Amino acid sequence: MRKGQPSFSSIYIRAISIAATTMLLFVAQAYSQNVDTLPNVSVRAVNINDSHSPLPHQFLSKETLSKINSLSVADAVKFLPGVIVKDYGGIGGLKTISVRSLGANSTGIMYDGIVLSDAQNGQIDLGKLSLDNVDNIALYSAQPEDILLPARTFSASSIVVINSTLPQSNPAKSLSGRVSFKTGSFGFLSPAVLLRLYRGKHFHQQLSTEYQHANGKYFFKGYEAGSGKKIRSNAFVNALRLEYDAGYSISDSNIITFKSYYYNSSRGLPGAIVLYNSQTHEKLLDENFFVQGSWRKNLSALSNLLFNAKYSFNKNKYSDPDFPNSQGGIENNFLQEEIYISGVYALNFSKVLSFSYGNDFYITTLRRHDDFSQGFVMPVRSSWLNNLALKAKFTRAEILGDLLYSRISDKVKLGNVGNDIDALSPTLAVAFSPFVSVPLSLRAFYKQTFRVPTFNDLYYTFIGNSSLRPEYAKQYNAGLTYTTSSKGFIQTIVFTSDFYINDVTNKIIAVPRQNLFQWTMLNVGKVKINGVDAAVQLYSKKFEKNFITTRFSYTYQEALDKSLGSASYNNQLPYTPKHSGSMTLQFSGDRLTAAYNAVFSGYRYRIGDQTNENLVKGWATQDINMSYNFTGGKIVEYKLTCEVNNIFNKQYEIIRYYPMPGLNFRIGLNMQF
Amino acid sequence: MNNIFKILVPTVLLLNACSKDDPITAPPVLQPSKGIYVLSEGSGGNNSKLGFYNIGNGTFNGDFFKQQNGSDLGQIANDMIQYGSKIYIVMNESSNVTVITAATAMLIKRIDLVNGATKRFPRYAAAYKSNVYVSATDGTVSVIDTASLAIVKTIPVGANPEGLAVSGNYLYVANSGGYNASPDSTVSVIDLNTQMEIKKIITGTKNSQRVEVNSIGDVYVSGYGNFGSIPASVSVINSSTNTIKSELGASYNYPFFRLYHDVAFFYNNYGGSGTAKVYNTVTNTLIRAEFITDASIVTTPYGLNIDEENGDVYITDAKDYSSAGSVTCFDKDGKKKFSFSVAPGINPNKVIFTR
Repeated sequence: MRKGQPSFSSIYIRAISIAATTMLLFVAQAYSQNVDTLPNVSVRAVNINDSHSPLPHQFLSKETLSKINSLSVADAVKFLPGVIVKDYGGIGGLKTISVRSLGANSTGIMYDGIVLSDAQNGQIDLGKLSLDNVDNIALYSAQPEDILLPARTFSASSIVVINSTLPQSNPAKSLSGRVSFKTGSFGFLSPAVLLRLYRGKHFHQQLSTEYQHANGKYFFKGYEAGSGKKIRSNAFVNALRLEYDAGYSISDSNIITFKSYYYNSSRGLPGAIVLYNSQTHEKLLDENFFVQGSWRKNLSALSNLLFNAKYSFNKNKYSDPDFPNSQGGIENNFLQEEIYISGVYALNFSKVLSFSYGNDFYITTLRRHDDFSQGFVMPVRSSWLNNLALKAKFTRAEILGDLLYSRISDKVKLGNVGNDIDALSPTLAVAFSPFVSVPLSLRAFYKQTFRVPTFNDLYYTFIGNSSLRPEYAKQYNAGLTYTTSSKGFIQTIVFTSDFYINDVTNKIIAVPRQNLFQWTMLNVGKVKINGVDAAVQLYSKKFEKNFITTRFSYTYQEALDKSLGSASYNNQLPYTPKHSGSMTLQFSGDRLTAAYNAVFSGYRYRIGDQTNENLVKGWATQDINMSYNFTGGKIVEYKLTCEVNNIFNKQYEIIRYYPMPGLNFRIGLNMQF
Repeated sequence: MNNIFKILVPTVLLLNACSKDDPITAPPVLQPSKGIYVLSEGSGGNNSKLGFYNIGNGTFNGDFFKQQNGSDLGQIANDMIQYGSKIYIVMNESSNVTVITAATAMLIKRIDLVNGATKRFPRYAAAYKSNVYVSATDGTVSVIDTASLAIVKTIPVGANPEGLAVSGNYLYVANSGGYNASPDSTVSVIDLNTQMEIKKIITGTKNSQRVEVNSIGDVYVSGYGNFGSIPASVSVINSSTNTIKSELGASYNYPFFRLYHDVAFFYNNYGGSGTAKVYNTVTNTLIRAEFITDASIVTTPYGLNIDEENGDVYITDAKDYSSAGSVTCFDKDGKKKFSFSVAPGINPNKVIFTR
């Protein structure tokens, strides 16, 4: 193995020094300007809008999140309509989502105001995003309704917006925090600490850290005929997360925030079950880091500026000691870095009409530090996005449109370089409430997006194809939201439903070029998706402090392969159930909360060839959880939580031959001060 | 991310398959074949199949093994040989040799090929004097005692051995080195009395795959090259001196072949034009540039077997490597007799005849 470490540590040092310098800057500023009025430091990168939005969206509040059995963002978003989670099982298994069958590569993941990037694979493992420090999650089809957002926010076909815990707007104490400890099945242990420090009303700092350890072992029923229980092994996880946030408000209209995030994990990759022998010793190490700064200033009552800057690296190291080469094992070591800057200007012409212009520029690089680095293409990608958005908001109608211009070009050290991309991507969305007296809102949108070929698509040895063009998706959506309120037991009902058609062309898929040895990526796919998402939320009347909320969601998707000449022409896409849905029933009391959550998925096929061999059975899981709050003196609040997952111990799989865990539990104690 | 690598490289390097049989000695008078076992490698995901084709009524049972035993064969079946009354199926990713009765395909035993907790990934088998020799990607040949059905010895050879064949007292093993940055070009010679490697012969063929021996003791070795600058090729070893006898040269750039009564059928199990080239290995003359003499088409010849009794040639077709394959039977003159789909079998690579 070649020692490629120096460059990594130098990057690390550089990153730390950037972080440190920036922190100092903040601290210095905080102390120098200590007198002012009463500004509010709380900033939301994305505001969660009302039911009259022209864009379908679903929201999981902190309250809701605390009552669904979830450890990671992936566990939470599977409750949202239109979302299909690909879960390879277990606590450390890869978990990605596809929204409305457009694929994980088309779903943007925004974390505290900036989209997370992975140009190598194009998909983010949501299993690695812990919910410990998450305040709320929203899923938008198309894009958020807000127009004061970086241009990149508008580039995905749908976007999951994750907001971490942010300081209260009027803190009562200068120091507050939370200490928690969770333990449970899979040898799971997780301590977490959050500290929040206020200095006046202008400056706050927050440190959140969490460690997770699990041996990842669980029982499953062996796949061999007549086989009994087996143990899923090589599924361990060790993960450390460190998040530092600082915010300084010069005034209510002039706010600077800073964030730095570090994640380090090692995990075993248990792989698919191979009958009679599933031994693997593959391992994956990840190290993700970013620092980002954001400056938001209201230039006047009508105009706003938002600047963002970010540096990130993602390092991953895959190893397989069983790889039968003469060196006795293989190691792949990749380092991805990105520098990102963004500016947005928004102007409200009037109460009705507003406009924004956003400009993002980012450079992404991928390097290798292993035995294969000599022949590696070392791609460098420059992306320049310009977005022009217009919004007109009337009493009973809203029109939203934007035009995104993207210019993306790659450079490589060796070999063929990918094509430049020059693309215009429009979106148009309208909402209309036809009746004054009926709480019905209608909406429709059209959005055109493309997904840039990933570095793997373009440059992976033998498989990559540098002549790939982007994959295009056109989304057409029509939907409604109906809200009723009454004085009965059920006080509020919110019903949302959307019908959509997605046309995917130039879909990038792997095809055997001549033989099994030589696959290549080609733009040959065409997909037509017809779908319906529906959700209903019911809120009960409050009896003293007790109330019940419930949410049902259902998705129907017909996602057909329309690729010319495809052997599975007109067949449903792999791993896409026609029917899927979820249900949550949550009780909140003064001290006690309790919830029942269920998710189901219909059958689907492993590949496009719809034979019995390739059928993956439908599944349903049911989870329950409870929490109890109690106080310990004046300043400390305790919360005891207990989650039981898959209460009926169903054996199921989401991906064929990746058995999911049966009955499992977690308990936790949370101390807030 | 690395999953692509993980999936493709092994698939890529492992799924190249055809087979290997015992060297042909003076054949006894054979009964006509009553049926044909067809082994389909599968495409990963535990979908290897052993099917049975009934010649009498032309019906095919695609998952005969499961019907007989109630269990699945496993993942990536690379080879099978018949020795005595048993059939030995080489299960690459399940890392075992599955032993069944030749008459009814009833499971006798699964013999694990492991080195502690690590799979050996077996590839091909050859039988000799109460032993079955199994090459494995981890650089070994394991010796199975056919009476006890236990592994009695594991012999280290070169990198990633593939095909193997017996000539006299020697076992010849093709070392592919397919998992290394540059492929191997050696053939290991194992003395069957001592069961030790005695020599590595350097050949002109890189990434060698198949080894077979003709009646005059010439050992034929074919290999892939490097899929780029180095083409597929065929080398010939003289087994009495264990030295290179000849290289067949540029017009024999075939990675795979089968020998039958000194006649070699060279073929490409990927791409390339034509189905098979027919060559006399004793007179060293080309018999026919293209085996097939009618309008039949085999998309991807993946395995080729000859019925000893009548010389019929069975060519398995892997099609696009991901959907059900087929088997076509030709007479020795290259005219199609019949063909059948091996659904749900994918990537059929070997047939065995039951009498």
